[in-house]
Amino acid sequence: MSKNYPPKWAEKILLTFLKEELAEEVLGDLDEKFYSMVSRYSLRRAQRNYWFQVFNYMRPFAFKYFKSFPISTLMFRHNFKVGLRVLLKNKVFSLINIGGLALGMTVVLLIGLWIHDELSFNKNHENYDRIVQVLRKDKEDGMVEVNSSHVGQLGIYLSDNYPNLFEEVTMTFYRNNPRLLTVENQTFDQIGYFFRPNAPEMLSLKMIAGTWDGISEPNGILISESLAQKFFGKENPMGQAIKMNSSAIFTVNGIFEDLPVNSTFGDATYFASMDRIYDDENPYTWTNFNMKVYGQLKPGVDIANASAAIKDVLTENRDPNQDPMDLLLLPMKDWHLNDYFQDGAQVTSKRMQFVKLYGIIGLFVLILACINFINLNTARYQNRAKEVGVRKTLGSLRSHLIGQFLAESILYALAAFCISILAVQFILPWFNGISDKDITFPWNNVWLWAMGLGFTLTTALVAGTYPALFLSGFNPLKALRGTIGQGKLNTRFRQSLVVFQFTISIILIIGTLTVFKQIQHAKDRPMGYNQDRLITVRGFSDDYYEKYDLLRAELKKTGVVEEMAEANYPLMNTLGNNDDFRLPESSKSMNVSFNTIYVTPEYGKTTKWELTQGRDFSRELGDETSSIIVSELAVKKMGLENPIGQQILANRAFNGHKEFTIIGVVRDMIKGNPFEEPVPLMVFSNQRSKGFLFIRMKPDVSFASAIPKIKEAFVGVLPTHPFSYDFVDEEYAAKFRAEERIGSLATFFSILAILISCLGLFGLSAYMAEKRTKEIGIRKVLGASVMNLWQLLSKDFSILVFIACLIAIPLSAYFLNGWLQSYEYRIPIYWWIYALGAVFCFAVTLCTVSYHSLKVSLANPVDSLRME
Amino acid sequence: MKEMKLGSFEETLMLLVGILDKEAYAFKIGEEYEAQSKKPVSIGAVHSTLNRLSKKGFLSSEMGLPTAERGGRRKRIYKITAEGQRALEQSRDFRLSLWNQFPAFSGRKFKLS
Repeated sequence: MSKNYPPKWAEKILLTFLKEELAEEVLGDLDEKFYSMVSRYSLRRAQRNYWFQVFNYMRPFAFKYFKSFPISTLMFRHNFKVGLRVLLKNKVFSLINIGGLALGMTVVLLIGLWIHDELSFNKNHENYDRIVQVLRKDKEDGMVEVNSSHVGQLGIYLSDNYPNLFEEVTMTFYRNNPRLLTVENQTFDQIGYFFRPNAPEMLSLKMIAGTWDGISEPNGILISESLAQKFFGKENPMGQAIKMNSSAIFTVNGIFEDLPVNSTFGDATYFASMDRIYDDENPYTWTNFNMKVYGQLKPGVDIANASAAIKDVLTENRDPNQDPMDLLLLPMKDWHLNDYFQDGAQVTSKRMQFVKLYGIIGLFVLILACINFINLNTARYQNRAKEVGVRKTLGSLRSHLIGQFLAESILYALAAFCISILAVQFILPWFNGISDKDITFPWNNVWLWAMGLGFTLTTALVAGTYPALFLSGFNPLKALRGTIGQGKLNTRFRQSLVVFQFTISIILIIGTLTVFKQIQHAKDRPMGYNQDRLITVRGFSDDYYEKYDLLRAELKKTGVVEEMAEANYPLMNTLGNNDDFRLPESSKSMNVSFNTIYVTPEYGKTTKWELTQGRDFSRELGDETSSIIVSELAVKKMGLENPIGQQILANRAFNGHKEFTIIGVVRDMIKGNPFEEPVPLMVFSNQRSKGFLFIRMKPDVSFASAIPKIKEAFVGVLPTHPFSYDFVDEEYAAKFRAEERIGSLATFFSILAILISCLGLFGLSAYMAEKRTKEIGIRKVLGASVMNLWQLLSKDFSILVFIACLIAIPLSAYFLNGWLQSYEYRIPIYWWIYALGAVFCFAVTLCTVSYHSLKVSLANPVDSLRME
Repeated sequence: MKEMKLGSFEETLMLLVGILDKEAYAFKIGEEYEAQSKKPVSIGAVHSTLNRLSKKGFLSSEMGLPTAERGGRRKRIYKITAEGQRALEQSRDFRLSLWNQFPAFSGRKFKLS
């Protein structure tokens, strides 16, 4: 029978040159041919024919090294099929694995979108590369201060004298208050900008109707699409009249597409012309610093050169006795993130720090997620070891195994990516809310997808490489026998990863607690007056200034108003600073800058400031124009022992006098930044009307019933003056928004970090508990209590968390101390915050680990020991 | 540019693949060719042509079941693709149109599909 086989030599020769992937089918065909020949003719003929067939296979397509790259999808399909089966077999593990990775990716996507949004600030303007803002450097107390306020004439001068540098120069008001716009009977408080007429072109507004020239006539106004919608609805807004602050009338000459929120002028609902205010009769000056100056450079002009060229313009044109002020240009790309100067030099701004900080946090969260992935995969190595052994025995190369494990990790990462994209969709609206952004998911951005997929694959490779290399390196014999030990190095590696995860989590928890404590600290600080039930109204019409007494009488008649007063500045800032005061015994003025405000005599009763010495102003005593009330800090700064009755002299007239007597001292009022030290306050009184009206409501009336009554009385006295009010406590709360935003984002990130770490820990502890099932069973049989076993299993992880605490606490103390230093009014480093962070982490760890350790400890030992 | 024309041997093999259907693998195709054309052919030649047709996209193939007479090896079964079908039809139509223009056969119209 042996002769009935095809000739061995022929077969051998065939196999020397034949492509491997063809061997099976070709040998099969030749065998079939051979046997059919044998059955029909002689064996010899069959053998001859076999040789003939072999030689006939010497064709290019069949040759081994004649590469034609067979695209074998088989191995890929196999890898993914096995990957999918592994995924479905261990549902909990897969869920933890993919879930953790998806969480990490969600955070990174969100942070990525946020950073992209920050970096693309103002990029909507076509002339982004050429628009600059003119700044100036002042010397103050030996420090160089960079300011953006300018005299209006500077803009005119630059545009007239430097046509080779600037294509356009434009100005807008430095302080931009909202103005009341009225169409028929609708009135809205709107932010908008007065600019020179060339601004719309410079800012490349996208016009829906009308042209950029719409404000070249002084009465023209361009309004935003949303404002047009608000006022006119379906009507055509073009040519309609809009009343501003109940006096000026403008004509709608154009409608522009709303500017994106992430641009400097993103809040603009209208643009109007500066020419309306400044003309030949009322020209721009070299003395009033009430403008911001912007320019558009000519193409090819270097910013540094232009900056140097205009440096001395302001100094040359001002009174030569005054200190020099150097000009510099700030390119538009730096307006948002790099606009912070210290002593005249550009330094990293707080915003930029946040961009970097969030970037780092995002990176860390991703690393945490990758660590989970690595940890869980290497922890399960014993389950996979047998598989690796079998595969290797069957001829699998190491590269095949690496391919297999990487394919699995890519599968997981892709699944996580899909989930995270969905998650981002759901989270974005909420995220926009807390981060005060208007980010939409850029579905059709090729870059996003390229980067997203690139980064998914990178994650898959980073997270999959270690398990792949580690698992594929097993000796098949040992793997199959199950003698591969714990592997000290591997355990250490895993432990250090857990420590790393928890270090970051603890730092984030402590950071979050500190941020909130700091905010609460500033909110709880004594303010020196009472903000509750206090509303403020801006007054501006002419009749308003004549009707103070009538208005006050009418408001009090409503029965809901306790008191009313007016001041020349709102309660919410510390504007109005003067340092021209001296004590009678000295000829030099005190080196103290006072916040000087003018109020009506009822100011104290309305704001409920806290008088500590002396008395309040009183209307009964007539005009007390030479009396002043100062704050405690002012007393301290002036170095007065007995402030009441103290004479204060001024170098120039205030309130019509140069000599004043202190009649009262009040507690410091927090009007400006609640995180800063208060400023010394000096209050003058007279009975004239002032721009800001304060109304205190009686304590027992509800807002819902009080506001309409107040409005009725107000409109009764001032029929043409729109009644638009703000709650003082709400305005004050707005000052915490930036900090609260940091707080919310920090909370968000720390919750995620903890969640990811816990997911990993949960998986690890499940695995550990499973591995020690038998040990637990034996211990239980020998009399160990559930408590003993729980301790045994929880101990390992507790030690890791303890080490993490040891690392995290000094690190976070260092970072947070740095952060707190940027606030004047701040909390100390509270040890309990750190203890709380650590305890919280311990508690979470124990809870996570306990689920599995208790499950195993409570199990009947018979079940676990019966298995073999 | 991909060669879309079928050579005579190629066309024959394609037709044989169609005829043999589930049994269309190199050895069987070679046997059938020899049986129908009475001309000898090597399996290598058949295999090489089948390979070329696969690359042109006229044939697709997948591994079939193993049988005992092949020493338990699997065979590669070929199938005509839609593109292959089109190429065959084109080739036939071209021939038919030529036949129909041939005066000696005038009056005996061949029907075009």
